Amino acid sequence: MDQPQLRSLEARCIQEEQPFCTAACPIHVDVRAFMTALAKGDVREARKILDRTMPFPDILGRICDQPCRPHCKRGEIGDPLAIGRLEQFCVHATQTVVKLPKLPAKGGKVAVLGAGLSGMTAALDLSRKGRPTILITGSPAIGGSLHQMALSILPKEVFVQAEATLTGYGVAIQTCTTLDRQVVASLLDEYDAVYCDWDDFDASLLPFALGTPDPLTLALERDGCFGGGGVGTSQPFSVMHQVENGRRAALSVERHLQQVSLTAQREKEGACTTRMYTVTKDFAPAAEMLPNNAETGYTFDEAQQEACRCIRCECMECVKQCVYLQEYKEYPKTLVRKIYNNQAIVQGTRNANKMITACSLCNQCTVICPHDFPVAEVCRSTRVEMVETGHMPPSPHDFALEDMQFSLGEFCALSRHQPGSDSSTYLFYPGCQLAGSAPESVKQTYGFLTAQLQGGVGLMLGCCGIPAHWAGRTTLFAETMAAFKAEVHRLGQPTVITACSSCLSMFKKFAPELTTTSLWEVLDTLPLPQGHSRPEKPLALHDPCTAREQQDLRASVRSLCTKLGIEVVEHDYSGELADCCGYGGLMQFANKGLGKKAVQHKASRSGLDGLAYCAMCRDNLAAQGRPVAHLLEYLFAASDQDPLARSNPGSSQRHENRARLKSDLLADLWQGDAIARPAHTAIRLQISQELEDLLNSRLILAEDMQKVIHHAEQTGRYLINPANKRRLAKYRPVRVTYWVEYEPTEQGYLVCNGYSHRMQLPEDSK
Amino acid sequence: MSTFSFLEATVWHCAGCNQPLQPAKMQVTYLNSAFDVELMACPSCGFTLVPESLAVGKMLEVEQLLEDK
Repeated sequence: MDQPQLRSLEARCIQEEQPFCTAACPIHVDVRAFMTALAKGDVREARKILDRTMPFPDILGRICDQPCRPHCKRGEIGDPLAIGRLEQFCVHATQTVVKLPKLPAKGGKVAVLGAGLSGMTAALDLSRKGRPTILITGSPAIGGSLHQMALSILPKEVFVQAEATLTGYGVAIQTCTTLDRQVVASLLDEYDAVYCDWDDFDASLLPFALGTPDPLTLALERDGCFGGGGVGTSQPFSVMHQVENGRRAALSVERHLQQVSLTAQREKEGACTTRMYTVTKDFAPAAEMLPNNAETGYTFDEAQQEACRCIRCECMECVKQCVYLQEYKEYPKTLVRKIYNNQAIVQGTRNANKMITACSLCNQCTVICPHDFPVAEVCRSTRVEMVETGHMPPSPHDFALEDMQFSLGEFCALSRHQPGSDSSTYLFYPGCQLAGSAPESVKQTYGFLTAQLQGGVGLMLGCCGIPAHWAGRTTLFAETMAAFKAEVHRLGQPTVITACSSCLSMFKKFAPELTTTSLWEVLDTLPLPQGHSRPEKPLALHDPCTAREQQDLRASVRSLCTKLGIEVVEHDYSGELADCCGYGGLMQFANKGLGKKAVQHKASRSGLDGLAYCAMCRDNLAAQGRPVAHLLEYLFAASDQDPLARSNPGSSQRHENRARLKSDLLADLWQGDAIARPAHTAIRLQISQELEDLLNSRLILAEDMQKVIHHAEQTGRYLINPANKRRLAKYRPVRVTYWVEYEPTEQGYLVCNGYSHRMQLPEDSK
Repeated sequence: MSTFSFLEATVWHCAGCNQPLQPAKMQVTYLNSAFDVELMACPSCGFTLVPESLAVGKMLEVEQLLEDK
C-alpha cells in the first residue's frame, strides 16, 4: 500500500465526515459536540464549542436562525433538536470561556465599510489573523440591522461587549463617518483591501459598477474589493448567512493580501453537503422538549433533556455488526491507517500484526458500507505483503496450514472415477471440513449422487487451498489450485459439485474455466433421498459468510428445506449479511478469544436452534453449546442420532475422520488396500473431555501426542516422577515442541496434560 | 547479555539416566533471537525441562513479542 492508495481508501470511509447539522451550518459549528456537552450537563464545555467557531457568541447564540435544524436527523424520529433555544440557554448561562489567540501582526491594511454583523465578523477574523483592520460605519454604533431586534432578545450590553471584543483584537472602529463617493474612492485607494457590508453600507457610493459579486470569493469588479452580508439579497435574511459572508470575505482578503489563489479548495466553506450516513431506525422517537416558560427559555434540566435527544450522528454501520472492528476499536479509516503505519516500520515492534491476521476476511462490512470499503481485501493483501517481506509471524497460521497439508496428503486425499467406471461426468468434492466433521454424510451423499446422476460421478477428497489464500501464502495457494485443476483435467473435466461454499467461492474465482456448482443446487434438482427426516421445531438458518455472493446456492438450500418440511426462520443477518463463525480468514487461530466472540455473535442472531450447511459453521456453533444441525443430516438421516445433539468433533477427531474416510471409501468402494499409517498412530490414548477441550484450545492434536509418546517409548528419553510413576516427554516434529504428561495403562496411555512452545532449546537443534 | 533464571524445584527425574534434574545454563532461540537462560536439565544427557507454567506463560509472551519484530 502506498500513500495515494492509503488516501483513496481513507476517503471511502465516511465516519469522520461532518454530521448533517455541522455541514448545514454556514460556519460549521460542532453541534454534535455541543449537544454531547450539554447532555452531560457541562454547560461550560458547550460554551467552549460556541466560542471556538462563532465570532460573537453572545450575539449569535441569542439570534442564530438555526439553518441546520431542517437537516437534523432527529427529525426522522421525532422533532429536530431545538438547537437555537439550546444556544440561547448556553450563552445566557455562561460568559466567554475560550478567547482565541491573535496571530502576530502582518502587513496589509484592510478597511471594512459597514459595521453590520458580516462587517464585524470580517473585521474580527482579519484582526485575529494579524491584519491591521479598520471598521468604518456612517452609523452611530456597530451592529447594522441588528439594532432592529427587540432589546429583550438582544440587550444593549451585547453590542458593548462586541465592541470590546473587536478593539481587544486591535480593530480600529470609526463610527458616525461621513461616507460619500469621494471619501469612499480615497479609502479604496488608501487600503490594500476593502470589504463592503451591504447591511450597513450603500453600494451606490462605490466608484465602479457593482456587478454581481463572485459567490465563492465575494470579489467585486475592482481588484481587492469584496462585498456581502446584505439583507436585501434574494435569500431570506439570515444572521448566520451574514456571519458566513463576513468570514468568507475575510478569507478572500487574506488570500488577496498573500497573493495566492482566491478560489482553490473552498468547497467546504459555508453550508455544504456531507457524505455522512446515519441510520436512525434503532433510536426511539422523542418529541421536542418545550420550555415551561417560553419567555425565559430552558432551565438547566430542560436544556439537558433536550440535548439528550441528540443521536450524535455517525456512521459506524460496519462496526455495529463486526466483532473484529469492535475488538480492535477501529473503523475502516483508522484501521487502514494503522495497517499502513505497521507496514512502514523498519525496526521496532509491528503492533498491528495481530490485528491484520485476525480479520475473518468475511466481507460483511463491505456489504454494509455505503461506499463498499474493502477491509478484507486490505487485510488479505497486507498478509501477502507480510509473507513476501518475511514479516508474517508463524504462529497465527501454522496450525491451519499444516491441517491443510494433512488434508492434501496421502492419508486423506483421494481422486477417483466412480467404481466400475473410467470416466466422470461429475465430480463430488465434499471439502476438507465436511470430511472432517461428518464423514458419514460424505459417504451417504456420494452414494446418493452416484445412484441419481448419469455418466459417472467421481470423488475427490482434498482441500481447495483457502487457508493458504487467507494466510497470504500466494505461492502455496497457486500450487494447490494448479494441482486441483490438473486433477480435474485428468478426470476428464467433469462438473465439480462441492458441498462447501468456501471451496465454491475459490473455484469460481480462481478456476473459472472449470464447471463448478454447489451440492445444494444439484440436490435441489433431484428427488429427496429415502429416509430423510425433519426437526420437530422451527430452526434458524445460519448462512455461512462464504455464501455471501452465492445467491442461487442460498436459494437452493431454502428450497431443499421447504421440500424437507423444515420450518426455517430467517434472522436479519442471513444471506449477504451473514456473520462469520470465526473460522474465516483463520481468525480463530490468529486470535482465539476473538474467534469465540465471532461465533457467539453469530449464534446470538437467533434464540432458536440452528441449521447450517457449512461444516465449520456447524461445528463452531456446536462448540458454543448451541443445538445446531447440518442440512445433510436431515437429508440423510441416521435413526439413532439427533442432528441437533451432535457435538463439535474438535481438531483431532477431524483429522482422524478425514483419514478414516479415505481408508473406508477405498476399502468399501474401490476394494483397495488400506494405506499403512505411521507407527505412532497405533498408540491408544485415553483423554478426559476436560483435557481434550484444553488441548483443542492449545491446538495440540491427538496425533502430536502420539508422536511424543511414541518417540519417548522408543528412545527411553523422558522424565519420570518417582512418586507416581508419571512420565513427561517431549517431541518437536517441525517447528513446535510438544510436551505430554502421561502414564502407561493396560489399554494404552492415559494423557494427564499437554502443552507446547515454539522456542528452541539447544537439544532441539541436535 | 544477562541470564534469565527459571529454576524451580522439580519432582521430575531423567528416566534414561536415572538422575534428578540440576540447574543448567543454556541458550534458547526463536526467530533469530537468542536468550541465555537457566533451566533444570539432566546433568548426564542434557534433557531439559520446560515446565507448563513457563511454556504457556513467559515463553509464550516472548515468542509473541519476537513474532512482531
